[in-house]
Amino acid sequence: MTANSAPSISIDGLTLTYPGKTVLDSVSLDIPRGKITVLAGPNGCGKSTLLRAIRRLHRPAAGRVLLEEMDVAALSEKALARQIGLLAQNPSAPEDMTVEELVRLGRYPHQTMLQRWDAQDTRALEAAMAGTGVTGLRDRPLGSLSGGQVQRVWIAMVLAQETEIVCLDEPVNHLDLAHQLDCLDLVRQLNAEFGRTVVLVLHDLNLAARYADQLVFMRDGGVAACGTPDELMTEALIAQVFNVDAMIITDPAYGRPLCLPLRTC
Amino acid sequence: MSLLATPLSASRAPSMLVVMASALVLLALCGVAFGSSWIPIDKVAAVILGVGEKTQSLIVLQLRLPRVVIAILAGGGMAVAGFLLQKITRNSLASPGVLGVIDGGALGVVIFLAALSNESNTLVTSIVFQPLAAMVGATVGIAMVFLLSGRQSVSAVRLLLFGIAVGAVAKALVMVMMLIGPIYRTSQAARWIAGAVNEVNWTEIQITALLLLPLLILALAVARKLPPADLDEVSARSVGLDLPVFRILVFAVAAALTAVSVAFVGAIGFVGLMAPHLARLIVGRSMVAGIIGSFLLGAFMLVGADLVVRVLFSPTEVPAGTVTAIIGAPYFLFLLMSKQRDDG
Repeated sequence: MTANSAPSISIDGLTLTYPGKTVLDSVSLDIPRGKITVLAGPNGCGKSTLLRAIRRLHRPAAGRVLLEEMDVAALSEKALARQIGLLAQNPSAPEDMTVEELVRLGRYPHQTMLQRWDAQDTRALEAAMAGTGVTGLRDRPLGSLSGGQVQRVWIAMVLAQETEIVCLDEPVNHLDLAHQLDCLDLVRQLNAEFGRTVVLVLHDLNLAARYADQLVFMRDGGVAACGTPDELMTEALIAQVFNVDAMIITDPAYGRPLCLPLRTC
Repeated sequence: MSLLATPLSASRAPSMLVVMASALVLLALCGVAFGSSWIPIDKVAAVILGVGEKTQSLIVLQLRLPRVVIAILAGGGMAVAGFLLQKITRNSLASPGVLGVIDGGALGVVIFLAALSNESNTLVTSIVFQPLAAMVGATVGIAMVFLLSGRQSVSAVRLLLFGIAVGAVAKALVMVMMLIGPIYRTSQAARWIAGAVNEVNWTEIQITALLLLPLLILALAVARKLPPADLDEVSARSVGLDLPVFRILVFAVAAALTAVSVAFVGAIGFVGLMAPHLARLIVGRSMVAGIIGSFLLGAFMLVGADLVVRVLFSPTEVPAGTVTAIIGAPYFLFLLMSKQRDDG
């Protein structure tokens, strides 16, 4: 592992079942601090479920998730929300809600009965909107924005939460090519400038290889392989995990491994 | 959602609430002034301030004021319940009427009246327990809806379908109970069917007010915690709203509010649906202003409905619930159809 300190999150033998189905089967994985970890794998491999389990949105049948060596099961909902931010796969908010209203909700876990909205909240709100470039849209209703803009606003909300760990579940799902790069560059910037630990679920292997510090391949509810993109992007492993014969080349612009899918196998 | 215009800025909400409260006071005064004999509003005010004539005092304090006060309490309480239910289900069609709460409450009361009446048709226990019976019935009603819809309770349409089904069963049972049971004062049970604010006495108002006040305070406290409920389930939880806990809490508060509101006036429909919509339109998304606005508008609607039946149908006592239904049912259909369009 390349992490130079203790992992931010340690997943330890996590098993999760739906009635009649095991979705995660004894998964163990470390999420290194201050790095971008990308979960990838075929449909139904459990990558989104694992992401939500990290944020304790599912109750595990066995095993545990340790956040800074604390079992997340022991934390309150708000305490957890101050440490882990999660952008849902298809988040939804009322169309007439304004950009600022949505980003403000990111400050919800920081407010208590005694501590109301204060200067710290305003600072975090403004920083989140500035960091994602949505300050100019603050009074616009969400319904009037483009898909790429809306995604930026949601990222701003997660950012306003000021959590050490940011989880994003397929953040570029419905975005066009330009907005995909835009969104992931933003995520990398958050990681580089603010030292946030990022966990991403991505479908596109080449985007995954380009942005990941640590890449995790999942299959059938388990971790098939975990390592750097260079270690994982091999023809043998891609065939084994994705059932695809592929050619791996080095992308001439960034020097990252690039996967050319040839045929299913 | 397209129905709801862009909300006004939050800073205008307080002044809009003052306007609504003033309108309610005016309407309430009219509600007392109108009747078989007209009492001028200045005389009404004099009676309320304790300096009125004797006959007028009798009419105002014993006949007219009680029905206006219970209409304020019941209409307001149901509207707040509707507001909470719409928020927590993220569904503008939700209301105590369609989630089995009102009919459940009605069944609770009718069973209470039937089981605890003696041979001579008088109640063998205190009337104080009637709201309690309504609460039990309402809670059982909404709990049934949620147990039946199970994992799909997130799906709005299924929730409504089960709500309507549970409501229909409760209604049928109410009918059966009324036909076979030795019911204390048939009118007491009969007014449950349509919902009416007449024949309410001050004891019943006191009971209602004493139960309603803490519930309204609780509703405000809960609502202040509820802004993330506007988001989808995963997003709401990931900003720290403990949704599983809040869902149960909100349903319990809404069921209790509805039960207390309707315990003595019966099943008045659609106020809990319409008032929160109108409140949102006027005061915007703020939770606290939404609760207060819903209460004021719900109260306004029921006082208004009662005034309409008195003016139009006097001297026949037509239940106010018929007016709210005549306006509310088409509105509900309209919402249903526009929602269908939105869904594709």
